[in-house]
Amino acid sequence: MNDALEKAGHVPHQVEPALLDRISNSIRPSLRPVHPLPPTWVLASGLVLICAALGLAGAARAGFYGIERMVLSERVLIFSTLGILAWIAAREFVSEWIPGSRRRFTPSMLLTILSAALLTVFAILFRDYHTNHFVSVGVVCLFTGLLHAIPAGLLGWLVLRKGLAVDSVSAGVVGGALAGLAGVAMLELHCPNFEALHVLFWHTAVVPASAALGGAVGLALRKRSRFSS
Amino acid sequence: MLRDGVQEQNRTGGSLAEGSRLMCLDVNPERLMVSYQAGDFAAARALIELISPQLHRFFIVQTRSRVDADDLLQETWLRIHKVRHTYRRGEPVLPWFYAIARHVRIDHYRRVLRTAAREQRLEEVPRQAAQPSRESDHTDELALILAPLPESQREVLEMLKVEGMSLEEVARATSSSVGSVKQKVHRAYENLRKRMSATGLRRGQSGVLP
Repeated sequence: MNDALEKAGHVPHQVEPALLDRISNSIRPSLRPVHPLPPTWVLASGLVLICAALGLAGAARAGFYGIERMVLSERVLIFSTLGILAWIAAREFVSEWIPGSRRRFTPSMLLTILSAALLTVFAILFRDYHTNHFVSVGVVCLFTGLLHAIPAGLLGWLVLRKGLAVDSVSAGVVGGALAGLAGVAMLELHCPNFEALHVLFWHTAVVPASAALGGAVGLALRKRSRFSS
Repeated sequence: MLRDGVQEQNRTGGSLAEGSRLMCLDVNPERLMVSYQAGDFAAARALIELISPQLHRFFIVQTRSRVDADDLLQETWLRIHKVRHTYRRGEPVLPWFYAIARHVRIDHYRRVLRTAAREQRLEEVPRQAAQPSRESDHTDELALILAPLPESQREVLEMLKVEGMSLEEVARATSSSVGSVKQKVHRAYENLRKRMSATGLRRGQSGVLP
């Protein structure tokens, strides 16, 4: 079986020369020099900066009550974790837009890693399991986080729009997860509610909710391109 | 295989003049791609001649139709041309080509499904439009061997065993991890082995084979 497959690979496959001529002639009129996209680290840095800027801008508008209540170790652990996670998600998001890039994680794996890392850090730092207005206060935080994730996702798309997302749903999920981290960063800077369950559930939920939103946008774009073609 | 350059293509194929012209240029696809990005038509043409046979075979194995493969190849090159700036120097070029080819094929497959759902077929269109040759016989045979496999296993096995790509390159082309590629190849072999032994058993029982 192996031999049969490898033998098939050694037999040259011919394409009609007329077809090759047609292809060459079709691209010739628009053949101009192009600038390749910047390296992954440049694009990923841009995306991380966008997330940081949006988180800061949102907190500057709403108030830095969260970070003011935190002790130094909490600040360092939360924001360094967010930085590392944003960098990982940004690299994956760039890979989604460059055909043939190396994928370190599948979108679902990335989402699990991001959520698990946030849950772990929050579980270590916040120990007050008393809850007050769990749903009503939590929903406000979730919406605030998503409200900041949406512009982060749109700006991320602007940075990478010249690429080609070979799977728009995967790209949407990964982009949404990255944008969700911008929302979490804003909440950590702003939200003074340190109840463990509130932070563990509602703050972390911004990432999967934003990823779901991104995936839905990707699906809608895929359907639109299918019907327009 | 591309790795061995055009020499191998010439050894057994008929396009000697074409091949020697390519050798005069440069047969390193990465370098050709960089020249293509710089607007060099000769490099673009060389790349088309070098990569198209592989992509065409990939499409035939996937669609089992030469006509569809021709259409997909043209569409793929138009897409490649449109997004040629997304290739970055130093990156392996084959996975980049195959990732775009896969994207075009999946788009085509979805379009066919949509059309099939809306239209009623009036008459059977002959699937094999081009004159069959010795090479196309081999490709058809290959398509037949891989036909029973699910699409995802078929494409991975073809890239790995027929096109000679590495696990890492296949993983890049299919937007998955090396582990997932290994798993798909393993399952593909299991599937083929089961099918071959079942066929052998049936033939043996019916007396066709001893």
